[in-house]
Amino acid sequence: MLDESDIQKLLRLKRYEQPSPQYFDKFLQDFHRRQRVELLRQPVWKIAMERIEAFFSEHSMGRYAYATATAMVLFFAGITSFNILNSGSQVVAVTANAPQQSLPIKPQIAKASLPDAQHPRYVIDTRPASYERSFSF
Amino acid sequence: MPEERPLTDDAQLVARTQAGDPSAFDELVVKYSPRLYSLVYNMTSNHEDTNDLLQDIFAKAYRSIQGFRGKSSFYTWMHSIAVNMSINFLKKRGRRFSLSLDDVDANIQNDKEFIDVTTGTNPVREADLGELQQRLNEAMMKLSYEHRIVVTMFDIQGMPHAEISKILGISEGTVRSRLFYAHRQLQNYLEEFRIK
Repeated sequence: MLDESDIQKLLRLKRYEQPSPQYFDKFLQDFHRRQRVELLRQPVWKIAMERIEAFFSEHSMGRYAYATATAMVLFFAGITSFNILNSGSQVVAVTANAPQQSLPIKPQIAKASLPDAQHPRYVIDTRPASYERSFSF
Repeated sequence: MPEERPLTDDAQLVARTQAGDPSAFDELVVKYSPRLYSLVYNMTSNHEDTNDLLQDIFAKAYRSIQGFRGKSSFYTWMHSIAVNMSINFLKKRGRRFSLSLDDVDANIQNDKEFIDVTTGTNPVREADLGELQQRLNEAMMKLSYEHRIVVTMFDIQGMPHAEISKILGISEGTVRSRLFYAHRQLQNYLEEFRIK
């Protein structure tokens, strides 16, 4: 049976698998050509994302660290947005509970903020429509 | 192969690239392309895929180099990009691939290890080089990506365990255990290549 050192010797021979000698000279030229093409079609947001990825990859964090960091960001974003929403509803509640006289709000605006049920309703005709003869003159 | 250039400090080249000198990045490409080619080729076993992927790797490194702050060496950073992109590529490629063999350097005939494995006390069957190469590549492709990458970096590229652990973001113990397991698997795959 092949032992571990035989395997290692065989694997080391793979160092000799190389492209033709001209390949690496041509590679740089191809790379330049490709860069020019890319400049014309790469969206800015994609470049920004790659830079962010590269920045974090330098800190050699594991995948769990990424997951934890993402969860923390989402958690704090959630708390922040909850606080903002909550403070917004408190302002509305204060506005609704305050006495009418103390609010220097124009009547039109105050009406606009009332729910439908509180809008004045106008009855145009008190008599219902009917096909029967009317007895009133 | 590219002509030999004087060894310039990577950090200097990176700083020049960050300052807007693209020729400094060209030097990094020339310096790292043979090594990264070997890494990617031994992961994909296909020359065309390797060529495309290597272009993508350098393009990504160039776009991201402004974010490189030197917390790790450029060598480690560059290899991390290559490893991550290779594994992502292999996951997308799945099983749809064909082996394409690169030329074998004629110097292999003078390599001590080649002489050992072909003429030792228990020589590997004196097959032509192409067959040996194909068998090895097939065996490598049967390994999982995680095992293949450590074999490539340690056995083929000769990187130390500590460097591999930095690049992959795993402990040295994990590198050693993956190597052990990978060698065991390769032993089984290559068993029939042995002279009876």
